[in-house]
Amino acid sequence: MPDVLAKNLPYLLSGAVMTLWLSLAVVSLSTALGFIIGTLGAVGGRTTRAFVTAYIFILRGIPVLVVMFLGYYAFPAFGYRANAYVAVGAAQIVYAGAFVAEIVRSAILSVPAGQIAAARGLGMPRAKILMHVVFPQAVRLAIPPLLNTSLTTIKQTSYASVVGAWELTYAAREVVERTLAAFQIFLGVMAIYFCICYPLSALSRWCEGRFVVAH
Amino acid sequence: MRAATRMDYAAQVTSFLLGQMPKLLAGFAVTLTVAVAAIPLALAFGMLLLAPRLSGRGLIRGAVQAYIEVMRGTPLLLQIYLIYFGLPLIGLFPSEFTCGVVGIALQHGAFLCELYRGAIESVSQRQWEAGRAIGMTRLAVFRYAILPQALMKVLGPLGNQLIVLIKDTSLVSAIGVMELTLTGKMVIERSAASFEIFVAVALFYLIVTAAVGAGFRLAEQRYAGRL
Repeated sequence: MPDVLAKNLPYLLSGAVMTLWLSLAVVSLSTALGFIIGTLGAVGGRTTRAFVTAYIFILRGIPVLVVMFLGYYAFPAFGYRANAYVAVGAAQIVYAGAFVAEIVRSAILSVPAGQIAAARGLGMPRAKILMHVVFPQAVRLAIPPLLNTSLTTIKQTSYASVVGAWELTYAAREVVERTLAAFQIFLGVMAIYFCICYPLSALSRWCEGRFVVAH
Repeated sequence: MRAATRMDYAAQVTSFLLGQMPKLLAGFAVTLTVAVAAIPLALAFGMLLLAPRLSGRGLIRGAVQAYIEVMRGTPLLLQIYLIYFGLPLIGLFPSEFTCGVVGIALQHGAFLCELYRGAIESVSQRQWEAGRAIGMTRLAVFRYAILPQALMKVLGPLGNQLIVLIKDTSLVSAIGVMELTLTGKMVIERSAASFEIFVAVALFYLIVTAAVGAGFRLAEQRYAGRL
């Protein structure tokens, strides 16, 4: 029975490598994007803050699959011939970026205002206050939810298969359509995803107990 | 000249979207049906997992914990595929709709169980001891002291989780349930219309998730006022 899985394992593993690359790109770029946008949302002017609020509200309110279809069909409409990976990846980065931005913004805003006033009273410039007072505390607060968001983002890369980008889930469907061994293949592929996700899940639980800062 | 073409474009898109509205509304109705079917199932399933997760014996508790970990660590899309392509192999032939609803409920039940647990455990453990010390039964302590506070704490995360669930209903499009997302895709493929249709699809989702979010925030405020 399990030889169907064994025979197709190399093919599935090459899909897993693609999933890992996609995850790495989306997680790192969306985290960078979200950090910039979230910081702007916390310390920017009124108009900037309003734009950030709108961005977070809209993206968090619609399914990632819809955003991916939007990206997939919008690139050609504006005259860019992007391949499926670029369209899907860009859509996922913009989507996950909204979740990161919300985490970063609320982490920055949770640093007590008294500390910022004190730093200003000492004559520190704004940039220095951010670097030495706000960020070190905000990052500690943001790490556990950011790990959870990364976990969700990695799982979401599987939805790229619905839009037509080949990765682990796409490969799994191909193999199941050829061999009809739904249980072996899908359970095997779930095990592969689990191996990718579990370390992150364990890490986020380990952090949650450790990084709590009491003000 | 440029303003005129822009007007033309706006008029074209509007009339096209209006023409497709009946199809989109039908898809929207299916999306709502999936959500309305899956939400109570997920809520109840989460409750079912809660007792063994909190106080079950070693083996049962371990099994529930392992189940929750697996649900957390694998994509919902694969779980739906497993149900949809797997069940026929053991002689069961549920509809695409049923497979989708069950898949969503199985995954979100696990997440909801963790939410319930977090809320209950966030109420100070000393209240259990205090309640027992003045002669209340364990059930009475839970019903009159722990539960009201836990409910208060669970409302916010619960609202967020249900919004995720509503968004996740878009995944049943992958097994062919003709809901809002699949309708949008069909309209594009049949009519050579472009991405504007997905802006409309996104708006439909945004309306529902924003309404649910606002509802939960309101409930939270009301409840906080009463407590």
